[in-house]
Amino acid sequence: MSLARLWTIARLELLQRVRTVSWYVLLGVFALLLIGATFLSFLSFGGQEQSGPGVYSTVVYITLLLVILVSPTLSGNSINGDRDAATLAPVQVTLATTGEILLGKFVAAWITGLAFALVAAPFLVIATLAGGGVHPATVAVSLLVLIAEIGVIAAIGVALSGILARPLFSVATTYLIVAALAVGTVIGFGLIGSSIVSEGKVSERSAVYGDNGPECKDGSTTCWDDPENIVCDEWVTYTQPVMRFDRVWWLLAANPFVILADATPTQLDRSGNPEDVFGYLKLGVRQTQIAPDLEYTWDECSQMAEERYPTPKEILAQTVPSWFVGLGVQLLLAAGLLVWAYARTRTPARSLPPGTRIA
Amino acid sequence: MTTPGIVARGVRRSFGNVHAVRDVSLEAREGAVTGLVGPNGSGKTTLLLMLASLLAPDAGEVRIGGVDPVADPAAARALLGWMPDSLGAWASLSARETIVTTGRLYDLDRRVAEDRAAQLLNEVGLADLGDAPARVLSRGQKQRLGLARALVHDPRVLLLDEPASGLDPQARIDLRQLLRRLAADGRTILISSHILSELEEVVDDAVFLVQGATVSSERVAEAATRTRTWRIRLADRDATASVLPVAQALGVDAALVPIDRRDILIGFASDADAAAGLAALIGAGLPVAEFSAATGLLEHTFLDLEGGAR
Repeated sequence: MSLARLWTIARLELLQRVRTVSWYVLLGVFALLLIGATFLSFLSFGGQEQSGPGVYSTVVYITLLLVILVSPTLSGNSINGDRDAATLAPVQVTLATTGEILLGKFVAAWITGLAFALVAAPFLVIATLAGGGVHPATVAVSLLVLIAEIGVIAAIGVALSGILARPLFSVATTYLIVAALAVGTVIGFGLIGSSIVSEGKVSERSAVYGDNGPECKDGSTTCWDDPENIVCDEWVTYTQPVMRFDRVWWLLAANPFVILADATPTQLDRSGNPEDVFGYLKLGVRQTQIAPDLEYTWDECSQMAEERYPTPKEILAQTVPSWFVGLGVQLLLAAGLLVWAYARTRTPARSLPPGTRIA
Repeated sequence: MTTPGIVARGVRRSFGNVHAVRDVSLEAREGAVTGLVGPNGSGKTTLLLMLASLLAPDAGEVRIGGVDPVADPAAARALLGWMPDSLGAWASLSARETIVTTGRLYDLDRRVAEDRAAQLLNEVGLADLGDAPARVLSRGQKQRLGLARALVHDPRVLLLDEPASGLDPQARIDLRQLLRRLAADGRTILISSHILSELEEVVDDAVFLVQGATVSSERVAEAATRTRTWRIRLADRDATASVLPVAQALGVDAALVPIDRRDILIGFASDADAAAGLAALIGAGLPVAEFSAATGLLEHTFLDLEGGAR
């Protein structure tokens, strides 16, 4: 593995990209979108004590979303597109090895994706400075995860372009895989979670009501605030289905947006609520880990303990983080695809993907 | 003593049930230009891909300067320069950058690669266009860029797939001179082409490929000695008027002598017969202005082999 040759290949890719006008148009459109999004986030989070965390996390999410939307087109044809243009074989015949070609193209695709993050950087700075209150740990971790996610998508695109022969097909497949992670996990979570059903037992007993409110054991009509004295009906028990999202919450672990939320340390505000969008998403996902109560009792004739919901802090403390599992799965997927692409692109070629020629 | 720079023995390669190369054995000498001649679809490009270390043969073995490109592709690639038939150029890079980048991929230092690019641009006649993006180059200019790219690391073995296609006459003459000079330095050059008259002027040896197999040297010799056609033109009369005196001088039936534009065509079985025929024409006092083989030897052999294969 020669770093000089690897970088020569990456540089070659980048050089061709920066010399096309459409690339700058794309970055310009992206900047315009961010201007709008940042402005609206300031309006939206303006009511909060400090708008920084909310605006910052929104801009990071929009950056991730746009990279997910654009990156497959930029990386998903890097190898088979070169083969179609007859520029792959002249590189393969040099001392550059298959590994250097693959990794060089991967590095180039990663840097290309990072260019979008770079365009977003001024807006992140504006959110931090103008909004105030953004925690350094939030910035550090969310940016690291964003960079890693951009790399994963770039690797998947480059690998698929080496595995599949037709550029159009590999770009579409890259979109499908990325969509499976970003949207498919959510759909799977919803559909599977709502079809796994447990039997919940409900027991309830209510007071016997007369004309003037509940009937009382002592015949009076003023026992409404004294459950001990209320005449009670029989206990009624029945079952009702309870959806078990706690069995499929892990499906969300591989979702890029969830990984970003789950990894970033959550800061809680004075009333105990998350400060940013990351925190709210993290809280929502973590909550699904908690198994629902299968026995539910409702008794009008006894002093019920006041129903108490766990605070965000308690939820975060009693549930487990999953981002490293999700990121690990994504890294394995990307690495596996790259290995497959290596086998498909290796020269001297023994078997060629159907419908391709070397040159 | 010249050693073979390229050796192929019993090489075979198929794609599914298309048998592109069935049985190829050839040797190309160092210091010589060897022509690879064959009709479309005869397996020339597939063979060159195997020699260029891009495609592994199903059977048989290949040696490039003594190195097996399947076992040690890196060593073979350091020795060989390959110019593909379908020439892809990085559209937004200039010719100079293209050569420098390729040089960098052959582990040349940036400085060395830049010097080499300047030198090669001169050699292939692209010095004026060195800084124009490759997409504005014409087909012939791209072809020259492809040749420069193949030469950047000063390879001992050159594999050129249709290098002359798209070149104008002057560029062809330049290419011919460049190839002769490269061969004179002791390089091995294998060149495939359809333009047999061009090939004829530059090659020392020829390998004939028909339906994926090399033709044996006996078969080639046989084809080469078969009757060839010669063009004859007399100085003082047109072709129609020439038929009778020429036929009489050579002792052939005038009714069987075809006319092609200004010339009449006569078949001779061998060079000796042709020489004797010319002597007879001069002897008969005819003003012979032109007396030449109608087809080159390669073309003649090629057409004969191709006809025989059908």
